[in-house]
Amino acid sequence: MQDTTIILQILWTSLATSTYYVLFAVAFALVLKVTRLFNFAQAAVMTIAFYTAFIAVQWLEWPAWAAFLLMMFMTLAASYALERIGFEALRQRGVSVMFVFVFTLMVSEFIAYVAMLIFGTWPQTIFPTIFWPVTIVGEIAVSGWDIPAMAATVGALAAFFAFMRFTRTGQFMIGVADNPDLAELYGINKRQIFLAAMLIAGAFVGLGMFLYGTRAQVLPQTGLSLMLFAIAATIIGGIGNIAGAAIAAVILGIIQNASILFISSEWQGFLLYIFLFLAIVFFPNGLRLPRRRGRFGTATRDIPLGRDAPPAESQA
Amino acid sequence: MSSFDRRAGMQFVAAAFMAVTIALAGPAFAQDAFRFGLAMPLTGSQALYGQDQVKAAEWAVAEINKAGGVNGKKLEMTVLDTQADPQLGIQMANRLVSVEKVPVFVTAWSAVVKAVAPVANDNRVVELSVGANSPDIAKLGDYVYTTFPLADIDITAVAKYAATNMGKKKAAIVYINNETGIVAAEVYKKVFTEAGGQVVAYETYDPKATDFTGPLLKVRAANPDIIHLQGLVSDTPQVIAQMRQLGLAQPISSYSAAYNPKLIQQLGAAAEGVIATSLAPGADDSDTVQVYVARWSKEVGREPNGLPYTQYLYDAPYLVAAVLKSLDDKKTPITGENFRKEMLAMRTFALPMTGKTTLGEDHTVVKPVYLMEVKGGKWTRKAIVGE
Repeated sequence: MQDTTIILQILWTSLATSTYYVLFAVAFALVLKVTRLFNFAQAAVMTIAFYTAFIAVQWLEWPAWAAFLLMMFMTLAASYALERIGFEALRQRGVSVMFVFVFTLMVSEFIAYVAMLIFGTWPQTIFPTIFWPVTIVGEIAVSGWDIPAMAATVGALAAFFAFMRFTRTGQFMIGVADNPDLAELYGINKRQIFLAAMLIAGAFVGLGMFLYGTRAQVLPQTGLSLMLFAIAATIIGGIGNIAGAAIAAVILGIIQNASILFISSEWQGFLLYIFLFLAIVFFPNGLRLPRRRGRFGTATRDIPLGRDAPPAESQA
Repeated sequence: MSSFDRRAGMQFVAAAFMAVTIALAGPAFAQDAFRFGLAMPLTGSQALYGQDQVKAAEWAVAEINKAGGVNGKKLEMTVLDTQADPQLGIQMANRLVSVEKVPVFVTAWSAVVKAVAPVANDNRVVELSVGANSPDIAKLGDYVYTTFPLADIDITAVAKYAATNMGKKKAAIVYINNETGIVAAEVYKKVFTEAGGQVVAYETYDPKATDFTGPLLKVRAANPDIIHLQGLVSDTPQVIAQMRQLGLAQPISSYSAAYNPKLIQQLGAAAEGVIATSLAPGADDSDTVQVYVARWSKEVGREPNGLPYTQYLYDAPYLVAAVLKSLDDKKTPITGENFRKEMLAMRTFALPMTGKTTLGEDHTVVKPVYLMEVKGGKWTRKAIVGE
């Protein structure tokens, strides 16, 4: 049946293309949860990640695996620099959250501008071709990109959640996210934890951009436009809820693609803004499932976003 | 230092300042040069086209001046960045009109051309649209003219050719949901239907979309004979790749944005059979174009992005220079009003890169449309429509 094929194809492609959105959303949500910063400088890290891979593959003609390693190194270095030179210095000066927000926007615009000066504004991809061979499974077209992308994303997320659950650093992150000052009283070095969060987010961004840049064309401003989806997923998933952001990214992608079955295609892009508007106005803390006991579901749903905001416990 | 000395010192500084100001301002207002404006995207997402178009215009100005300028006077071009953004375009047009005091300025991108039209009309300064193709451009007022064929011509040719010469009965139209896509898609639909065809799918996608599965599956379900894609250079390869991946093997037609060598590199065999339009002769059709393309390869190391657009931009200063020369010959003051009158009196211009250009009464221009097709991994000429 044609309709069933269409639905299954949309579901499959949406799942495949949601991989990079999930990674971007998790990176954004993790930094927000642990450091309490709306890190728009993530777009700068995305730009650095992509163009590093682009240089390695297209200019230096390195194999894909070597390009990936170089890209991850540069992405982690950029995240390190951002935390140590940028955020840490701003924290020490005691600047407001709004000031840090402006700083992150400025960093992203600056890196996009530098990329434009170096690479021009011709859209680029990591590999010279963006056409991936297709296998027909049942009646569903599965491209050669889909399964590796999904496997890499699921693997990265599994490793991350295992890290958060079973390692001391992961547990310290949750502690710092709950209450950084209290965590410090218990001997947790929050400076190191902030850095760890930025580096893990950087790794997600690197992987996400590698996937994105092997499938779609990238311009210096692409990082900033991709951020909108990550922010929407973070807000709808519930600020401070990393798993929620990941799930929201997948669901948003599916709804946006599947909506064509019910509405005109010209309204598809508008849907994201409608969801974002509804989430901000009616569900500022995200769409919550019934409360359950668990490290990611309950611990940090309400986090203070301003320097002067009361600690999480007092809001509960 | 006494108060007298101080006063004398200040007077000296003021005099020196004025002298420097006059010296600096002098060349800008000198009578031995003719000036016009060029407002194009030099930064932003459309700069890949804009920068190359500006370079083409700069080459033309340099050539004109090398050949003696306009009646021995230098032709000067003031270039401003619009980022292809209407709001910024208005600011730049105001600057060209009010500060630079040019009688004519050249601009492009449909949204910008439309946005700045009131500035041109209100100030009686000629706006030459060179590259934008929205049919609305012909109705923007007395001072707005185009030297670039509007979408009616480009899209009309490709739609009519599909229905009559290629014998296609059912077409699907996939277009980007912005000014460029919406208007052209309507034109294609109208022409294809009037030529006896039927539009069986009419789907759009968001300019920020990275996945096009939904609209393309609707197209696949409609089973058209041909698909017309009206996108931008940044999304067109990806849409075509996804069409082929989803099993859409039909011929794909597009317009001039698809006509670039990178499309073939990115799509490989999937690009075979893609038809695009070109509104200017190629290197095989003209020695001048051959020399021009060779110059790009030599000086820039590549072909220009959107070769036909750069050809039109190369021609624009020649048209401006021809009108200015005529005005100067008649000792007529160089104003926007006089420029418009003289341009319409002359009406037909022999331009080096795109040939004979006649400005129509209805603010349009008619040129032949070159249909190009990817064959054997190369762009080859399929037909010339309206020669």
